[in-house]
Amino acid sequence: MSAALELVNLEVQFPARGEVVRALQGVSLQVNPGTVFGFLGPNGAGKTTTMHVLLGFVEPTSGSARIFGEDVSKSLARQRIGYLPEHPETYRFLTSRELLRMAGRLFGMGGESLRRRIDELLHMVNLEAAADRRIGTYSRGMMQRVGLAQALINDPDLVILDEPTGGLDPLGRMEVRSIIADLRTRGKTVFFSSHELSEVELVCDHIAILAAGRVVAQGAAQELVGPNERLEQFFLRVVQSVEART
Amino acid sequence: MNRTTTISSVVWIEMIRRKDVYVLLILLLALLFILMSLNVFGLGAVVGYVADIGLVFAWLFSVILCVSLTARQLPQEEAKGTIYPLLAKPITRAELVLGKWLGAWSASAACTLLFYAVILVVLRLRGGSLNVACLAQAVLLHLVALAIVGGCALLCSTRMTYGAAASVGYVVLAACFAVVPRVPELLMYERGASSTAMLGLYYALPHLELFDLRQRLVHDWGPAPWGVVGGVVLYGLLWAVIFITLSWMAYRNKRFKRGAMSA
Repeated sequence: MSAALELVNLEVQFPARGEVVRALQGVSLQVNPGTVFGFLGPNGAGKTTTMHVLLGFVEPTSGSARIFGEDVSKSLARQRIGYLPEHPETYRFLTSRELLRMAGRLFGMGGESLRRRIDELLHMVNLEAAADRRIGTYSRGMMQRVGLAQALINDPDLVILDEPTGGLDPLGRMEVRSIIADLRTRGKTVFFSSHELSEVELVCDHIAILAAGRVVAQGAAQELVGPNERLEQFFLRVVQSVEART
Repeated sequence: MNRTTTISSVVWIEMIRRKDVYVLLILLLALLFILMSLNVFGLGAVVGYVADIGLVFAWLFSVILCVSLTARQLPQEEAKGTIYPLLAKPITRAELVLGKWLGAWSASAACTLLFYAVILVVLRLRGGSLNVACLAQAVLLHLVALAIVGGCALLCSTRMTYGAAASVGYVVLAACFAVVPRVPELLMYERGASSTAMLGLYYALPHLELFDLRQRLVHDWGPAPWGVVGGVVLYGLLWAVIFITLSWMAYRNKRFKRGAMSA
């Protein structure tokens, strides 16, 4: 069985103000199906760039990225992915029902099955009452929830979430946690980045820490973090040691 | 094709909900009625005059609508960050570019038909009418011209902000409408490099004047030979395909930076 997600020696460089910025430097990762994988790192570490490579937005300078064995440059690889960006913005002139219908059609869905899936998702993210209101009238938390719903429209096998709890109140965070837990129960793979280390501690099986474009630690959360240590302490220790070296 | 039409349906919804088209329609009606009621030099009652002015506005408004609608599609997606969840779906950039063009063109085309309907109603109120075959040719060529206009605006928008793409699009289209047809006359007075540059312009830009049958319609000269119209349609479609292909080539490997293309 192929890995849900596999990055091998990934390098991303791009020019910026006459210099070459090395956003990713030999990143290698493997995420097995059915795991909840936390992708951590300070701001500017390269988390979003990694996600953008996985989604085919950025072409790697070298190395390879595969999703369920399929090269990410092929649009077919995205058939089994759901993605929630860091600041989920969407068409504000659409209602959430219309947005989900559009998202479903882009995955080739339609008819009664799509209608059922939309109702199911609106119920899941608690947006049934606002389903026929324009998204432009939504609060930030509601935007996040509709973004999550569109990421799950195709019942994806791999869900990539970039800061899924950003901008949510404690209740919203709890709802996202319960959605992730539900995805895990159903054997889905979740790959998500977050600055909320307490969230990561609660939901992740495996973690990887990225600093200055390199993976500096990865493994099962319980194995990496010492018995008398919190994930936050471990994260700070690792990141600070990398920053001291560079 | 399903994904392309899904993208274009969003362009339609956006146009309808932004209400641009209603503003243009009301403006067209208001301008026609004002012109008729002012009755300058007693021309208000002349059917040909009303048709001429009406058709000028129909062209002007349809081009404005088509350029503004097409030019904002891709930059807006990038500026707002909606491009990320969109491209995370299994769509290719070719489908995205084609869907945006198709949506903007079909929406502009529908509004143009509405503009023609308004003109016909106003003419009918004045007791006038237009040659049906000639009108059909004029509308057909108008819609094909919009396909080129949309393609041109789309190409500009692949690498520019909305404002820049719309401005450059208007300048290029103004050159196509006003300068390109005059090049043979201007060449009589030019020599050397400027003459070569003008000749280059003459062949490098589409001849939009070929699509304008207003005079034929207003002066009731009757329909043009259908073979010629067919040739012009093919010429127009070729230009539209060139612009869409260039847009795809400019967009297929584009890297996005959130907020970099603020509208």
